[in-house]
Amino acid sequence: MTTITTASRIPIDGPVETPWKLPYRGNVGMACLIIAESAIFIIFVVAYIYYIGKSLSGPTPAQVLELPIFGTICLLSSSIFVHLAVSSLRKENYRATTLHLAITVLLGTIFLATTAKEWYHLIHDEGLTIKTNLFGTTYYSLVGLHATHVVVGLIMLSLTLAFSLAGRVKEEHSEKLEVLSLYWHFVDAVWVVVFLVVYVLGR
Amino acid sequence: MQEGQSTQGHEHEHRSDTVILPAPTPWPLVLALGLALLITGMVTHWVISLLGLLLTLRAIVGWFFDIFPHELHVAVPVQTGVMKISSTRTTREQLPVSAEHRQILPVETFSVVSGIKGGIVGGLAMIVPAALFGLLKYHSIWYAVNLLAAGGFVSWASASTAFLCQFHLEGLLAATGIHAFTSVLIGLLYGAMLPMFPRKPILTAGFVAPLLWTGILYSALGIISPVLNARINWLWFVISQIAFGLVCGFIVNLQVKVRTPQFRALPFAVRAGLHSDVPLTKDEDL
Amino acid sequence: MTTTPVLEAVDETLETQGKPPLNVIYEWLTTVDHKKIGLMYICYALLFLVIGGFEAVLMRIQLAIPNNHFVSPQVFNQLFTMHGTTMVFFMGMPILFGMGNYLVPLMIGARDMAFPRLNAFSFWVSAFAGFLLYFSYIGGSGLYAAGSAPDVGWFAYAPLTSKVFSPGHSTDYWTLAVFLSGIGSIGTALNIVTTILCMRCKGMKMSRMPLLPWLYLVMSGLVFVAVSPLTAAQIMLTFDRYLGAHFFDTQAGGSAILWMHFFWIFGHPEVYVLVLPAFAFANEIIPVFSRKAMFGYPAMVAASVAIGFISLSVWAHHMFTAGLGPAGNTFFVFATMVISVPTGIKIFNWLATIWGGKIIFAVPMMFMVGFLFQFLIAGLTGIMLAAAPFNWQLSASYFVVAHFHYVLVGAIVFSLFGAFYYWYPKVTGKMMDETLGKWHFWLFLIGFHLTFDFMHIPGILGMPRRIYTYEDGRGWNTLNLIVGIGAIFQSVGTLILVYNMIRSYYKGKEAGHDPWDAWTLEWSVPSPPPSYNFAIEPTVNSRRPLWDLKHPEDPDTDYE
Repeated sequence: MTTITTASRIPIDGPVETPWKLPYRGNVGMACLIIAESAIFIIFVVAYIYYIGKSLSGPTPAQVLELPIFGTICLLSSSIFVHLAVSSLRKENYRATTLHLAITVLLGTIFLATTAKEWYHLIHDEGLTIKTNLFGTTYYSLVGLHATHVVVGLIMLSLTLAFSLAGRVKEEHSEKLEVLSLYWHFVDAVWVVVFLVVYVLGR
Repeated sequence: MQEGQSTQGHEHEHRSDTVILPAPTPWPLVLALGLALLITGMVTHWVISLLGLLLTLRAIVGWFFDIFPHELHVAVPVQTGVMKISSTRTTREQLPVSAEHRQILPVETFSVVSGIKGGIVGGLAMIVPAALFGLLKYHSIWYAVNLLAAGGFVSWASASTAFLCQFHLEGLLAATGIHAFTSVLIGLLYGAMLPMFPRKPILTAGFVAPLLWTGILYSALGIISPVLNARINWLWFVISQIAFGLVCGFIVNLQVKVRTPQFRALPFAVRAGLHSDVPLTKDEDL
Repeated sequence: MTTTPVLEAVDETLETQGKPPLNVIYEWLTTVDHKKIGLMYICYALLFLVIGGFEAVLMRIQLAIPNNHFVSPQVFNQLFTMHGTTMVFFMGMPILFGMGNYLVPLMIGARDMAFPRLNAFSFWVSAFAGFLLYFSYIGGSGLYAAGSAPDVGWFAYAPLTSKVFSPGHSTDYWTLAVFLSGIGSIGTALNIVTTILCMRCKGMKMSRMPLLPWLYLVMSGLVFVAVSPLTAAQIMLTFDRYLGAHFFDTQAGGSAILWMHFFWIFGHPEVYVLVLPAFAFANEIIPVFSRKAMFGYPAMVAASVAIGFISLSVWAHHMFTAGLGPAGNTFFVFATMVISVPTGIKIFNWLATIWGGKIIFAVPMMFMVGFLFQFLIAGLTGIMLAAAPFNWQLSASYFVVAHFHYVLVGAIVFSLFGAFYYWYPKVTGKMMDETLGKWHFWLFLIGFHLTFDFMHIPGILGMPRRIYTYEDGRGWNTLNLIVGIGAIFQSVGTLILVYNMIRSYYKGKEAGHDPWDAWTLEWSVPSPPPSYNFAIEPTVNSRRPLWDLKHPEDPDTDYE
């Protein structure tokens, strides 16, 4: 019988060889959300592609769709401004942050307005609704799903803008704003796919 | 075990402190309820959706103020004491192990080659009871040979006993091939298993392995070779298998054992044969 | 006995005794503590286990004898729909998420999940989704006289789900409840991934993490890519039913096959979402009761990740009878068979862990042995069904039902029961009764084999699944009766488990902080753990930090 009495070999809060650094949870969480959302969009895109040209009645995409170049430019360039907002917040340049946020919100709203105008045109002038045919079904759900994401992003960006105008957004919030900007970049990236599928491939 | 170093007395000082944890909040529950009601309204009545919407909005506002401007926290008091971390497992005296290995192997075992050798000689030995079976039952030593070969010739499936008692060259060749191949394969398998039971090769090879093998064949032969299954005499089959196994085990037992990596970790005195043996295990209690 | 006392600062929480019950309820409703949320998940799932099990028993009574009229055909359709939906979405997922919620932070040395409020939200959404589904029994017909509980099968194939064939709201209840529970699942999965990546204690590299968090990481990753497509498909179905869209409307050119694809893109990875946690429990329990370190840790991790990836490319083996064409058939047969390779690696690693170990046959280990054997058989019938021609013959027969229940009950439920017995002392501080546990094990084992071994045979004899009753003289009578009798054994076994859990809570032996002499971090804190888990954040140097503390003469650090 031996009795071994010894202290822990494991330093309970001793130094570890390298500094212990883990990724920021907001970024990881947003990345996970983006993966999940991408899967949802992929299913809608697959449905759209699967049903291209399978509508039993008109109107067809070639007859009614026009390239939304202006809206696309607005939405894609808003990605740059939200990035600038984050980097100026890091540098504690709060006026620039507010300005860039405002431009982002403005560009996003313009994009939303172009989509709304397009939908109005399609429903009112062309008589295309979600019930009309498979093109209507897949078009409204895919573009609508994306527009929903734009709306959610815009609400959060506007809220940030409001707090920024009130001077409540500080440098310590830069990580959180970065998470929001990740989401916004994702929404823009999805639009690229939607644009290619609906307006280029689908026509 | 070398003298356990007594480095006593690293008493951790009792800390009375607090730990910061996120504060409890009802808003996740309310938001979930709001969303659920919002959706329930779709299958019941729109008023419920309206109620859900109100709850959702209220919860979002509430949740917002949980996080901004600062996350709400509660400080939970901590009283630390001393906790003993001990093992109920006996720390047994082990063979000294080399630096790379911590598993305990037998010091010596048989090599795979000895299994193959055993398989070859056992295969030769097996011919005797098999031929004996043919002679006694059907007065022909070719019966067992042809029966084994029948697995390879579809046309022999309905052959008569008289046919099987005659000499057929292709039957002899096929049977020799099947028998040699199987014997070497079984020998190889046995050799690979030997390090797991190095103590009594004759027992495992002679009885355990043949019975296992026969059991597997007994259940599977009906599918693999119905001809063989219909005519086989299982008693004689087992006797042949045991003859194979006993001879195989005997041959293996004659072979020289090889040393496992564990041997190299033994103290020099043991390896050189000055000391007889180390106590392998010394479980005091459990 | 030699003990190696090691000193570590740990805690005794000041439990405030005798709170008024209302405060206790409020405390549980508003909690963001991962342990309480985990327990709520588990209790909620156990409730649905009982409900889903009751539905199964009703179905077996109906099928026990030919030409039976115990329930009506309509009720039978509702029973198998609700049984499947309940067991997958409201029992399987929540109970595994609950275990993960409870164990993952403790095992990686964290004080809580990464997003504690989101955690609470995900749980409550899942919970309300379950209540919404069962509200259909009252709301579906009671208020609006339009159908009752969903009766379209748990996979809800189009076009049966369209407004024409399923009028009223019964199918909507199914769609919306599953959609809602999907939100909860994605939320919790997101939380688990973030917790594992961002909240590990000092020194806990990914290569040192216990296998349970590793498998939960893979499982949660799968949830993103499996549950999201289902969520998307539910949105489409809702559009079809509410807005008159034509996604799955065959009259307007929509495709029923597309729904099958979308459903099984979810459905098959879902099986792995459910079974990976079962593997995770086995990975923790088998080494402890074999008194050996896990064999082949890197191979285990690699195999789990491989299963995660391959499982995304096998879904269409559920659809061989729909006609995929030779290329599609070949691909999915091949992919399905390939997945048995990493699974085989896992089985061999478990066997190698047990091999040569000093096995302790406590109740958790007994369940694990059952798990190993049954999972093997389930895998073998899986390979049979993966062969397309065999599948054409037996698809939608009771052989398939027997096969997947072998996975879900024989593997997952057995592993889960083992996990209950293993971690119950940590959760409550009391040991569960071993004798009752053995009764539970043997009764459940006998019942399981009576039910599901014999269920294969009527399938081979041609008994289709989902039939309400059958004629006499087809040779199915005795077999179905045996299957029904097995269900009784299983029910009694499960009731013994429930009794054991309640009784042990009040009368069980004190467990202490480490009753199994285990090696992972959760056993270094008191049982039950205090709300902050670790008074001092731990630091680890190997995969088995407690082994190192207990065996300073032979620490794991020397071998990694």
